[in-house]
Amino acid sequence: MLEATTAEKDVKRKGLHYLNIREQLTGYLFILPAFLIIFIFGLFPIAYSIYMSLFDWGIVKGKFVADKNYIMIFGSWKNLLIILVGVGLLIAAEWVWKKAFRSNKNGEMIAKLLGAVVLLAGGGLFVTGWMQMAESGNAQFLNSLIVTLYYALGTVPAEIILGMVLAYILYQEIVGKEIFRMLYFLPYVTPSVTTAVVFQIIFSSRDTSLANRLIGWFGADPLKWRFEPKPFLNLLGINLKGFLAGPSLALISIMLYGIWSFVGYNTVIFLAGLGNIPKETYEAAEIDGASKWDMFKNITMPLLSPVTFYLTLIAFIGTFKAFNHIYVMRTPSAGVSVVTASLMIFDRFYKANQYGVATAQAIVLFLIILGLTFAQNKLMSDKVFYG
Amino acid sequence: MKKFVPIFAIILIAAMVLGACATPAPAPTEAPTEAPAPTEAPAEEPKPTEAPAEEPASVWADVTPAKNIVFWHQHTKAREEALKAIVDEFNATNEWGITVEPVLAGSYSEIFNKVNAMLNTPEMPDVFVGYQNQVATYQLADAVFDMNTVIDDPQYGLSADDQADFIPAFFKQDVFPLYDNQRLALAPNRSMEVMYYNMDWLKELGYDAPPATPEEFREMACKAAETPFSGKKGDAKSVGYELSIDTSRLASWTFAFGGDIYDSATNQYTLNSPAAVEAMTFIQGLFKDGCASLVTEAYGDQTDFGNGSLLFAVGSSSGLTFYESVVKEGAGFEWSVAPLPHTGEPAQNIYGASVSIAKTTPERELAAWLFIKYYTSPDVQAKWAEASQYFPVRTSVAEKMAGFFDAHPSYKTAWELLKYGKFEPGVPGYDFVRGNGVDGVNEIMAKIVDDPTVDVKAELDGLNERANQILADQLATIKK
Repeated sequence: MLEATTAEKDVKRKGLHYLNIREQLTGYLFILPAFLIIFIFGLFPIAYSIYMSLFDWGIVKGKFVADKNYIMIFGSWKNLLIILVGVGLLIAAEWVWKKAFRSNKNGEMIAKLLGAVVLLAGGGLFVTGWMQMAESGNAQFLNSLIVTLYYALGTVPAEIILGMVLAYILYQEIVGKEIFRMLYFLPYVTPSVTTAVVFQIIFSSRDTSLANRLIGWFGADPLKWRFEPKPFLNLLGINLKGFLAGPSLALISIMLYGIWSFVGYNTVIFLAGLGNIPKETYEAAEIDGASKWDMFKNITMPLLSPVTFYLTLIAFIGTFKAFNHIYVMRTPSAGVSVVTASLMIFDRFYKANQYGVATAQAIVLFLIILGLTFAQNKLMSDKVFYG
Repeated sequence: MKKFVPIFAIILIAAMVLGACATPAPAPTEAPTEAPAPTEAPAEEPKPTEAPAEEPASVWADVTPAKNIVFWHQHTKAREEALKAIVDEFNATNEWGITVEPVLAGSYSEIFNKVNAMLNTPEMPDVFVGYQNQVATYQLADAVFDMNTVIDDPQYGLSADDQADFIPAFFKQDVFPLYDNQRLALAPNRSMEVMYYNMDWLKELGYDAPPATPEEFREMACKAAETPFSGKKGDAKSVGYELSIDTSRLASWTFAFGGDIYDSATNQYTLNSPAAVEAMTFIQGLFKDGCASLVTEAYGDQTDFGNGSLLFAVGSSSGLTFYESVVKEGAGFEWSVAPLPHTGEPAQNIYGASVSIAKTTPERELAAWLFIKYYTSPDVQAKWAEASQYFPVRTSVAEKMAGFFDAHPSYKTAWELLKYGKFEPGVPGYDFVRGNGVDGVNEIMAKIVDDPTVDVKAELDGLNERANQILADQLATIKK
């Protein structure tokens, strides 16, 4: 009897096992087309880029050079290691600041003190590694990363804030809001190459350009806009140097285009997010005597945080990959002050035909984007309120 | 019924096997398409017995030109239409039944990028336009057909008279010493950097001729910046000269100052030659004194010239038509072209893309060559030059264009300057040296004119070093 039961169980188990395999196979079969497409057009090019980056690859494939193209960027692996240790310490500082020694009586104060020390050490190491890298590595590529960072920091917050504000306004009962929604969205759907040409003319260095006429109404002298390689702060008389000097006026002109182009998209996404906030929440707050600002600060912003998180993430990735409008709007006069990492890689690839070097730079950019996305996810995800 | 199935299967398999065995069968059906060969062959047969020592047999005699080839070009609007007409005529009249498909593949740089990405692949266009430096870059991958193998061919090549008819400098320009004197292209047209000037304005300023020397140029340009043209239209500021940041401008001014930017004897850039330093110092001085400014928008100098707010512009002679129309639509004054102001003999920067053939199969290469031969033949050249306002590349064509010269005196003036022609380097990597974001020539030019305190010599020294490094990197990959 017992034997029979065991045999039955065996048959059942085998049957389940078979069923399981069949289900698994069917599942794999369903995802196969998508996998093939992603593999051929996504994973394979990345893998092939990594392969190319290990060769002295010009117009023709040259000899295997192992990590030489990467060393050209970093100067040495030691420099990269110093930077990575610096980044590690910065992450550790955040953890120490927020979570360490919480069981002790004066734990918070100790944690903050220690966190500050670790933060300083991390920052110091990062800067040291970066400076060594700039000295012995590819200074042009590293500069392009700084330009990219300026571009990201100068556009993403503005796009998010303006998008949210515009969405909030358009969400109110105002006449013709549908037309405004469409108008704000238009820059996003218009081909960037075309609109960038219009911005080229607006930000021309002619005395009679639209931008110069506009600032002329406020009594300001004409500026060179897209042709100005000097940092904007220096033009204002604030003579900072290096990274602190900030972006050039030429890059700011390009940033204005970026903001103009993406605000409409953010507005539409925020509007969708606003539509998901229950009206009762606002009504309850109103009954409790909350002002418009209170409601915006305590209801709208927290409940929009998933949308804000999504848009920030996408926008940061987008700015690191931005290309078309920067390519169209750049001028030789602006020099390297507007050359972002993606443009630098393009020039290396298509003008210098240094495919090995260009792919190594592209892989580094890819890893930076991946790292930043991960960091952003870690830093912001616990601030996102899903209701 | 069932028993017929195996029989049917056997018959089917047998038919397939027989079909496979019969693969030679298409030969007779293909033969007619190759018909010209047998008919031509007997005619050529006596040749070896007649004069074996005098005229070697064609090495292409056994090759049948391909029927369909693709031609990538960058011409738009009226030029594209003219080119299409030429191609259509070739397609309709050529005796080999070749059909050329002209494809507008983008600008020069777009074509360069695209071709680079498909070198030595079957996707390569059979014929494509390219500057000498671009073709030299393609040849790093040994991807371009050497026309030396066909140009002297008794059956398909160019006769000695035909070859002599080409303007020697143009004809030689596509022979690459870097690649053992391979001919990697043939020029169908050329243009030249000239100085456009507003004659009416010059007269108002008290001059009766354009400037011949840099000093005269400076004097006139500075005077123009202070004394606007009476017929000026619009509110743009008057200026003597507008510089478009472009390596060809640096080359043109260096040539005018009696120097060069490349030494072909040593295969080294000379971007810091005394003439280059002198030329850029001269330009920097013009900016410093407020006599010159930068071109701020695409073709902005043409617009300003047409509106009478710009006295001198330097640009390609292929823009003659455009200058003609902007002046007509703008301030409507008397204008013409002249050589760039020079220190010794005039020296004019001549450039233009040639047409190359991709290394593919002998059939496709031969078909491509036959089209290029037609494209550069005198009658076609005359049509092409008149429609495009490029210069023709053959001397005999000028005679056919007497009427056109009379109708377009500026074109004639420019044509007469061809004898002073000089060329920019046709070496791989020149596109990168020219710059845009990588401290190339363009960036350095912008830096020099932007800041009058910049040390021209030091900047050009640095630039030259970088340029030679890029060149060395590129040349290192040439297959030995």
